[in-house]
Amino acid sequence: MSTQPSVQFQSVWKRLTRRAQVSTFAELLYTIPKRILQGRQDGLSEHDFWALQNLNFQLIPGETLGIIGPNGAGKSSVLKLLFRIFRPDRGQVIVNGRVTGLIELGAGFHPMLSGRENVFINGSILGMKQKEIRQKYASIIEFAELGEFADMPVKNYSSGMYARLAFAIAAHAEPDVLLVDEVLAVGDASFQARCYDWIERTRKKGCTIVMVSHQMHVLESASRVLYLNEGNPIMLDAPRPVIDRYMSDQAKLMTSGDNADDLAVGISRVQLLNNDNPTHELRAGDTATFRVHYRLAEPVVGPVVTLELMHNDPRFPIQTPGGQLAQLSSGASFRDQTIRGSGHVDVDLKSLQLPVGMYNVRAAVKGSGDFAAAIRRDDALRFEILRPPESEFSSLIELPQSWRVVHQSEVPQP
Amino acid sequence: MKVVQDLRELFSYRELIAVLAQREIRSRYKYTLLGAGWALALPVGLMLIFTMVFSQVAPLDTGDVPYPIFAYIGLLPWQLHAAILTGSARSLTDNRSLVTKVYFAREALPLARVAAALFDFAIAATVLGALMAWYGIAPGPGAWLVPVVLLVQIAFGVGLAFIIAAANLLYRDVQYVLQVVIMVWMFGSAVVYPLPQEGWLLTLSWINPITPILNTYRGLLVGNQVTLEPQFLTAAGISLFLLIVGWLMFRKLEGRFGELA
Repeated sequence: MSTQPSVQFQSVWKRLTRRAQVSTFAELLYTIPKRILQGRQDGLSEHDFWALQNLNFQLIPGETLGIIGPNGAGKSSVLKLLFRIFRPDRGQVIVNGRVTGLIELGAGFHPMLSGRENVFINGSILGMKQKEIRQKYASIIEFAELGEFADMPVKNYSSGMYARLAFAIAAHAEPDVLLVDEVLAVGDASFQARCYDWIERTRKKGCTIVMVSHQMHVLESASRVLYLNEGNPIMLDAPRPVIDRYMSDQAKLMTSGDNADDLAVGISRVQLLNNDNPTHELRAGDTATFRVHYRLAEPVVGPVVTLELMHNDPRFPIQTPGGQLAQLSSGASFRDQTIRGSGHVDVDLKSLQLPVGMYNVRAAVKGSGDFAAAIRRDDALRFEILRPPESEFSSLIELPQSWRVVHQSEVPQP
Repeated sequence: MKVVQDLRELFSYRELIAVLAQREIRSRYKYTLLGAGWALALPVGLMLIFTMVFSQVAPLDTGDVPYPIFAYIGLLPWQLHAAILTGSARSLTDNRSLVTKVYFAREALPLARVAAALFDFAIAATVLGALMAWYGIAPGPGAWLVPVVLLVQIAFGVGLAFIIAAANLLYRDVQYVLQVVIMVWMFGSAVVYPLPQEGWLLTLSWINPITPILNTYRGLLVGNQVTLEPQFLTAAGISLFLLIVGWLMFRKLEGRFGELA
């Protein structure tokens, strides 16, 4: 394995514009002479922003770089620069060898053509020779588990078949540098497992891998992780310290401010209390009270109060269709009551059994009639369920547990 | 040198160009009964219409050459030219998912459309053979020069294709303007009528390579022309110049296609 770097980013800056293009003919007439007079600009114009600022790193064959960061951090820009879809505005991107991306699986598939025809087209797009594809064709179809569906038009494929075929082609391109975006969310678990398995085998053969992921267990397998925020490289180091830094930054962001508000009417705030003390941090299993403060212009008859708890931690990809992890509802509890003016509604939980992570809360108070007005508030409260003291990454939820040994015999039984 | 390096890279993508052209052709004629036979429909249909107009309504003197053959030798290469322009205009915009997601020499997309247009051209050319056999006209002594004329025409078409494809990515107006341009251009060139011996149409033909290209096809195939005339050589010069300028322009803009598409 050579130690010649396979990927080099040297002081890379990338500028993007918020506007697609000059929008009108009149504007065009105005900008062209302006550009000619001022020459090519190196700075930012009105609509531009830096998608990446002064990024430096290099990777050697067999290394895996994970990239983490909030939305708009510049993660995709890094991949696009590596793939030569973007060119840097300053600095240099040097890549040695064939780059293949699992960025958008099946880009370039033609829906009318069969799986077989698309293998040859897509393989060619990914830089394979026709002869090479002919040799690998059987293996590609087998990897994709397509069998007799190979000759069916791709438009009739299920999304799983589509993704499997696309991945199978990319997998056979034998890249020197592999780019992985979070595309592997498609397909069933066994296929995903095979994908990660294949990525790992490819890496061992000396392929350099750059992957964007929000799944911590995936990032932890990387050699190094790059943390980006708004185009700035924040940290580049071994996975654990970078992930910890990212998580703590996210936590700070989420618990800053109490979110109290001087609304004339509505839900003025939601508080989280632990033994009557307001808090933003709890451990799974703690007692908790959510307190919903309201101010009403008119009385609400038979109010129904709901709290939706949204898990904000990217470690937790499973969500309900509404996006909430859990919902608390007063249901019919207040059917015979009327609330008016201002006050608060409390809901007590003896044991708050929630997975580790950051949450925000959406609150609503609604009358019981069909058309009764509702007041609601998104992002009414943010709180964090702290990691149980010793479990680290090994458990997301804390299950109440007690253990015992049942002693049966002095000798092992068959 | 960068140009040499770029040319070498483009050459390394020749297989991809062929595969993409194949994709164009296959997807176009899939689920049709006539298949590639449709490539004949437009030039033959136009030839019939113009034969009707210029033999019944306003008879036209085309010398010894029967009008259908005269018109078809004009319409066949003209259709190729029009197909190259319309096809390449949308070549980048139709393939957004590729342009924004995968890297390859972007020239492959307009070039694949050019190749697909050539495929249709080859099929429609068989009708010319049949027509000439029907009228008992043998190819002229200079017919062996026809491939040279075709090469010049392709160079001209490809040069324009590069410019149009890139321009249409910036401003989609291009594809609409193009429809008008193609119509005006057709009637402004000697596609369905012989070039007048005087007047501004003659002057215009010095800077419009299409007219000398079509006239040369006619002179070589059904006339006694055996050499390439100055007007054609000028057209060849313009075509080569456009090919180089078009490609350099395309190269220059290419780096931003991923952001623009």
